[in-house]
Amino acid sequence: MAAGIVSYGAYVPVTRLPFALVAGRAAKEGGPEKAVAWNDEDAVTMAVAAAASCLRGHDRAGVDALWFASTTYPFHEKQAAALVARALDLPRATRTADYSGSLRSGLQALRGAFDAVAAGTARRVLVVASDCRLPAPGSALETNFGDGAAAFLVGDAEAIASFEAGFAVADEIVDLWRGEGESFVHSWEDRFVVQEGYAPRIAEAVAGLFERLGIGPAECARVALFAPDARSHADAARRLRIPAERLQDPLFGRLGNAGAAYAPLLLAAALEGAKPGERLVAAGYGDGAEALSLQTTAAIEKLEPRRGVSWHLARRRAVKSYDRYLKARGLQTREWPQAHDAGLSATIHFRERDEDLSFCGQRCRRCGAVQFPMQRVCETCFAKDEFERVRLSDRTGRVVTYTFDFFFPTPDPPTVVTITEVEGARIHLQLVNVAPEQVKLEMPVEFVFRKIHETGGRPNYYWKAVPLETER
Amino acid sequence: MREGIRDKVAIVGVGCCKFGENWDQSPSDMIVDAAYEAYADAGIDDPQARIDAVFTGSIYSNKGPHECSDALKLWKPVTMVSNYCATGTDAFRCAVMSIACGMYDTVLVVGYDKPKDRGVSGPSVVMSQVRDLPQTPAGWFSLAAARYFERFGAGREDLARISVKNHHNGTLAPKSFLKREITVEDVLSARIISWPFGLYDCAAQTDGAAAAIVTRADLAKGFRDDPVYVKAVTVFGGPNPQKDPSNDFLSWKPTVHAAKEAYRQAGISDPFRQIDVAQLHDCFSLTELLSYEDLGFCEKGQGKEHVAAGTFALGGELPVNTDGGLKSFGHPTGATGVRMIYENVLQLQRRAGPRQVESPSLALSHNIGGHPTSCGIAILGI
Repeated sequence: MAAGIVSYGAYVPVTRLPFALVAGRAAKEGGPEKAVAWNDEDAVTMAVAAAASCLRGHDRAGVDALWFASTTYPFHEKQAAALVARALDLPRATRTADYSGSLRSGLQALRGAFDAVAAGTARRVLVVASDCRLPAPGSALETNFGDGAAAFLVGDAEAIASFEAGFAVADEIVDLWRGEGESFVHSWEDRFVVQEGYAPRIAEAVAGLFERLGIGPAECARVALFAPDARSHADAARRLRIPAERLQDPLFGRLGNAGAAYAPLLLAAALEGAKPGERLVAAGYGDGAEALSLQTTAAIEKLEPRRGVSWHLARRRAVKSYDRYLKARGLQTREWPQAHDAGLSATIHFRERDEDLSFCGQRCRRCGAVQFPMQRVCETCFAKDEFERVRLSDRTGRVVTYTFDFFFPTPDPPTVVTITEVEGARIHLQLVNVAPEQVKLEMPVEFVFRKIHETGGRPNYYWKAVPLETER
Repeated sequence: MREGIRDKVAIVGVGCCKFGENWDQSPSDMIVDAAYEAYADAGIDDPQARIDAVFTGSIYSNKGPHECSDALKLWKPVTMVSNYCATGTDAFRCAVMSIACGMYDTVLVVGYDKPKDRGVSGPSVVMSQVRDLPQTPAGWFSLAAARYFERFGAGREDLARISVKNHHNGTLAPKSFLKREITVEDVLSARIISWPFGLYDCAAQTDGAAAAIVTRADLAKGFRDDPVYVKAVTVFGGPNPQKDPSNDFLSWKPTVHAAKEAYRQAGISDPFRQIDVAQLHDCFSLTELLSYEDLGFCEKGQGKEHVAAGTFALGGELPVNTDGGLKSFGHPTGATGVRMIYENVLQLQRRAGPRQVESPSLALSHNIGGHPTSCGIAILGI
């Protein structure tokens, strides 16, 4: 059975850290920067955003597997894919798995999805790669790392790009690593990392793929190469003789290396500009290297406009100070260590999964009123237990009223708090991605999955409102 | 038609400790101050023999009802009430009902709270919820501002005048926490807590305790010559207004509902003319403004004109928060409703000193709390 990409989505945090701030200078318009997850974002929330964009217009009930790839999921024991599936309100029978541990895991998950669909063991696999790596403040890695996520719906029909071939090599090298209990990524001397690790391995994987297909760079419309930094990227392209116009922009100085999501993000960016009948190559690195090739089909022209990499890159909000970035990433010194109690009750978390994670409310079968959260007695007609479940995460709402809270601890006060109405249900929700002076009564909003706080030393997730935007 | 409570129960003694950041006082110390003042006020020198039961209210207590029994060494039936900011008024209501039904003759009511042992200024920010964050009362009550301001053209200056009035009144009350005059400019330039509320738009959270002794109306004169009679007492509760699809955020429904019931009980048809003095729940400046309207003291949207005209100032037609209110007398949540009753009793008995309102005969007190979901109203008269 032929496997291919049916749909794709991307997510890049709207917040950008100008490199000038890192160097202790004032930020200049148009200067180099990188995308950074803010304090309410992590690998999970970014994955949900990319996946929601990928699934737009597709029946969620038709997804039979979700594979999540990241090196920065907050738990060692406990699965991300099941949480992401819950936030996306996917069917209970969805097969879920995490790919982790390697910067290559994003492309590996995608390859795994092609294999499963080709083998006929799955029909629609949602692959989400998301990463949010923490470089030590002031380290050489700091300006190269960026945060982001990409999602692909892989299927056996209606592909916009068919899987053609792949080639992978495994290798063992101590180049980049992060051990148990450590926050920051370590790197051995960068010249060693590039000369003995990245450069030969990425070349080996791409050359291996070319050989398998009997082609050269001239037969590729676009080549998306993972790279640790801009210079290594240029060197690798030269070594593989890939002409500049066929090279996918590695986005250093705008997005940064997004870890396990990086090669997938570059592939998503390549799909955005692709025309039918083109060959796209994506190559990833990490404990070896892997290259995949795809052939775009006529269906790519009919794909509805979506929030791809360019859509996200066009929307940016520069961090005001390096100090706020440190606060947002939990790197400031604190008077007290973060409380490590048992945190929010696990039983309450369990009972409220439908509301807090899937953002589902209920519709009264008697009077039709929609309400949130699930309740036994109707807010409007007082009917008891006559409700059906309604997913609200993919609807739009309006701001009924608001306030600006300066009391709630946050790196960038105030917190904008609203009563938002969606399908008639009134919900107390934070509004983000907005400056206070832009907040208006009745403004239309949509919804994003975010971290609400980290009580108990765990990320606790919920939904927030953001100003409604169009797809273009 | 329900018979109601009017004139069946009387208040014969009131007491109140000094409100403030009472670092050197435990809850028990404050309960003893308030209760023994109320005993003396009622001429009770043997509480063990004269008090039949105790109704106590607190929302911060981690010890429960025995905190009050133990402080006072009372071997009596005891009940603890918790009902957000209506806690004190609700403890009073339960006491009044217990007498009206014939269960007891004379009952002690004690409202108290000790928030200043928690080490934080303002509400604590312990995250126990996933939804409904940030969880601060300022954040809940400020949600009415955007729509109210837009509809009626009001602004922060209108709210500031209310805080200025209450700060002034607080300087005249011996047991108030804050005794400092402020200006409209002070209010407007203070740091913002939750827009449009700056620091001076917010009540002062303090420690405190207040007490009242209530008895059967026919026994009241055995305690003192000038008892004050309960004309109405009610507590209204409803679902969370944040979820209420019909909420217009121009008024708080709990007050509207509770006022209707209280006025029915007391036989009041024109509250602005009939009520002589009122203690309203000024947890935030806007809450007092909305309450003028929700209680029918003036038309919806007219509150700010009355504030500008001084209608609710000490020398005005209907003085409100004569002792400084929650803003400057202080707000120990469980005590507040009982503290308002204490002030209204002093006013009705002409014992309010420099803040005395001219010959009042009917006094109202009002609390609203939660999201807000609960409202308590007590109307007293002579």
